[in-house]
Amino acid sequence: MMGPRRIALPFAVAALVGSTTANAQPRPRSAPDPAGQQVRLPPDAVKRLKSRDPAQIQSALDDVRTSARAGAPTVPAIVDLLRDGLSPALTIAALETLGDVQSAAASETVAWYTRDRNVETRRAAVGSLSKTGGPAAAKALRAALSDGDAGVRGLAAISLGNLKAKDAVGDLFVALDHKVPEAAAAIGMLCAGNECDRLASKLGSVPIDVVTSGLEQVLFRPPDDVSDDLKVKVVGRVRQLGTGEAHRFLQDLQTRWPKAGSQRVKQAIDQAVLATSASPASTEPQP
Amino acid sequence: MRAAIFWCAAAGLGCSLACGGGQTRFNLFSTDWEDDRGASIERVWQRVRSSPIPAAADVVLGVAGNTDKIIGLPLGGGSPWKFAHPLDARPVVAGMVVVASGGGEAFALDAASGSILWRRPTGGLPLLGAGDDGAVTVVTFRRTGGAGSTMLAVTHDGQVVRQIETDRPLGAPAVLGRMAFVPWASQYVSAIDLANGDETARVTLREETSRAWVEGGSLWFGQAAYVRFDEHIRGASTGAASVVTIPHRELPGTPRPMRPGSEPVPPIANAEDRARIYARPAATETGAGLCDGRWYATYFRLAMGFDEKAHLAWSHLHGSDFVGGAAVPGGVILCDDQGKAIALDEKTGGTLAELDLGEPVKACVVNADSYRATGTPKDAKPLPLQLADAVRAEDAQLASAQKMLLRELAALDDESVTKTLVEIVNDPRTTPEMAAASRVALATRRNGASYLEAALERHYDYMKDVLIAPPVAPIAQALGAMKDRRGAPLLAAHLLDPADSDDDVKQAAAALAVVAGPGELPALRQFFGMYRASAANDDVADAVVSVGRALIAVEPKTGRAVVDAAANDPTTVPRAREGLHALLDGGKP
Repeated sequence: MMGPRRIALPFAVAALVGSTTANAQPRPRSAPDPAGQQVRLPPDAVKRLKSRDPAQIQSALDDVRTSARAGAPTVPAIVDLLRDGLSPALTIAALETLGDVQSAAASETVAWYTRDRNVETRRAAVGSLSKTGGPAAAKALRAALSDGDAGVRGLAAISLGNLKAKDAVGDLFVALDHKVPEAAAAIGMLCAGNECDRLASKLGSVPIDVVTSGLEQVLFRPPDDVSDDLKVKVVGRVRQLGTGEAHRFLQDLQTRWPKAGSQRVKQAIDQAVLATSASPASTEPQP
Repeated sequence: MRAAIFWCAAAGLGCSLACGGGQTRFNLFSTDWEDDRGASIERVWQRVRSSPIPAAADVVLGVAGNTDKIIGLPLGGGSPWKFAHPLDARPVVAGMVVVASGGGEAFALDAASGSILWRRPTGGLPLLGAGDDGAVTVVTFRRTGGAGSTMLAVTHDGQVVRQIETDRPLGAPAVLGRMAFVPWASQYVSAIDLANGDETARVTLREETSRAWVEGGSLWFGQAAYVRFDEHIRGASTGAASVVTIPHRELPGTPRPMRPGSEPVPPIANAEDRARIYARPAATETGAGLCDGRWYATYFRLAMGFDEKAHLAWSHLHGSDFVGGAAVPGGVILCDDQGKAIALDEKTGGTLAELDLGEPVKACVVNADSYRATGTPKDAKPLPLQLADAVRAEDAQLASAQKMLLRELAALDDESVTKTLVEIVNDPRTTPEMAAASRVALATRRNGASYLEAALERHYDYMKDVLIAPPVAPIAQALGAMKDRRGAPLLAAHLLDPADSDDDVKQAAAALAVVAGPGELPALRQFFGMYRASAANDDVADAVVSVGRALIAVEPKTGRAVVDAAANDPTTVPRAREGLHALLDGGKP
């Protein structure tokens, strides 16, 4: 089944962090097995984490990241390290590791670092919270929408979407009005009824690619989450816009609409594509 | 040296400055004169001491139009008058007469009505100054080309009774008892008997002198200081005359109380008219003093009142630039370029009276002799609020004055000053220079803690459009010095705010070392853990050490253990490690 373009983490995190840390030192990065299989946690991982030796700590963190959720037993030790203090590089590695382990128990300590003076550390903490979840995560991420760094704000918005923090929709609209474009996609992931309509009503006042990044999320959400009525209404909003950009968005939607998806919505999309085909600049500009 | 005297009146000649005949040689204004130790001037004093000095006109004059109109407005009430005539120099008020020059002639008007008294052709010589004793007006002109001067004595019916031409630079004269007192060469005043043209006396003054005038029933000489013509005048050359000076102090635009009387004053006000000192000398039991013990200064649209020790008493922010004025008993009268004049109270700077010349003016002259500024001042505010208004005014040309007034403001103990300083720093329109000066001043506050705490409630918040962090560093310094424990939670919150500057964090931590309590422990522990091994610079490393001090102060046993562990951990940044060791050793890092 096809779906919305991947806005969700880790793609977005990698893209955003990569776009703003050009001067950062490259650091070794392990990642969970792409096949999704867990690698067994080495038995001495905790011991190395407690060694106070930066090199051993780094190697242990690498192993834990590879182990993903299997690394859960190391979480208390990593949390202790973060509370006791690490170098900037190890701090970021520890935060990313806790994200990969997806331990909600670490969220309070990870949340500390969403207020770090080092912007790279803040980005790592925000990205990590989107995966750990936990009681402190949503609160810290909402606060991070007010960060002085645009990258942190964008990550926080996307992370709130990933966390399904429906209470944050109001804040995300404020963020969207404050030129945090990532908030649109997050709203699209979380909105209900009138909120989705409110997002669609931003067409014309907010750049169309920003709004459609959120509407796309709405349209591809499952029927039990967003009704066909609402999806048809959203398609109608885009159709009303009647611009070439609207046409291209609808055309792209048409090609990616899942075969098993709602035929009623598909029909609305097809009709909208036809209705906007004569709009100015409706064809893709030649490169 | 030579001087030429023309005695016209006795021959009944209507002579002009260009006329000839009847010329006599006289040793006027000679520099081979030997100081007679005050003997001659003492004789003149004895001769004129009982001569009545009639009050001069109380009037505001505006130079209006295209410098071709004089507007007169009596201070004591009465109708304004206008007189159309080209002007090449600023008009002056002498006694009850307004004297001006322009269009190739000099002329005199009745100050009360503006009606013409006399006019004489001058060949275009610009007016320097004039004196009048109620019967004769003595006028000085600078000779074309700048070298030398002409003095003319004219009766109110237009008869020229004396004309003197000299190579010397004469200043602005005064007349008393048919005797002209003429300053010259910046150090002499010659007394010239108008009956025969003789220089009957001369006094050498130790103060730079180019003006003579009567005011408040006394005859005065001066420029940079005020020398009274009284029984002490014979000692002038030895510094024993009755003298009063304006005390020196820092003022924007380095204003002077008087322009040199030997230079024509342009008809259009310039920068010197906008930055001026106004003072009124007064006779005292010991000789001379400042009227009301006050003097005043203007800088564009700002007026300030000072006491005899040069302490600022008040400031007054006006709507437009002041271009003229005069100190009077009870205050100062100032007029602006819009043709409005106000009388300000000497004690408070509040407005006592407002006058209107009816149209914008190019320059303004105020002469007040018997006028007294009285009444209940309106809009008078306490000095801290006056200074706050002045310092916060959005007016780039006031910048120099605002810097000076900010220092005055910071020196006041009033709690509202603390509030004002916070507002200045928080205001995005404040210039970087003023903001920096205000931060320095804020750090020295020792009262107004509630205003400082209120300021700390604010944090940078992008979503709420709060894009400037409060001045945490100076507030922390002040609260720390005040040992204000109520500020501790607020400081702790800023310790963990990444939008605050490194210096803010350093100073917040230093203050917390003094004021933190158990309630701040979570924030202190968090900060210590987050930065002891990652402090990016010396400020943050120093903050770590201060927080270590706070931890020990709040919970001595546990805190010391945490600090000890960090001090001995090689991953702790070197500067913090060094400071923590010093802390544990009992020294002050």
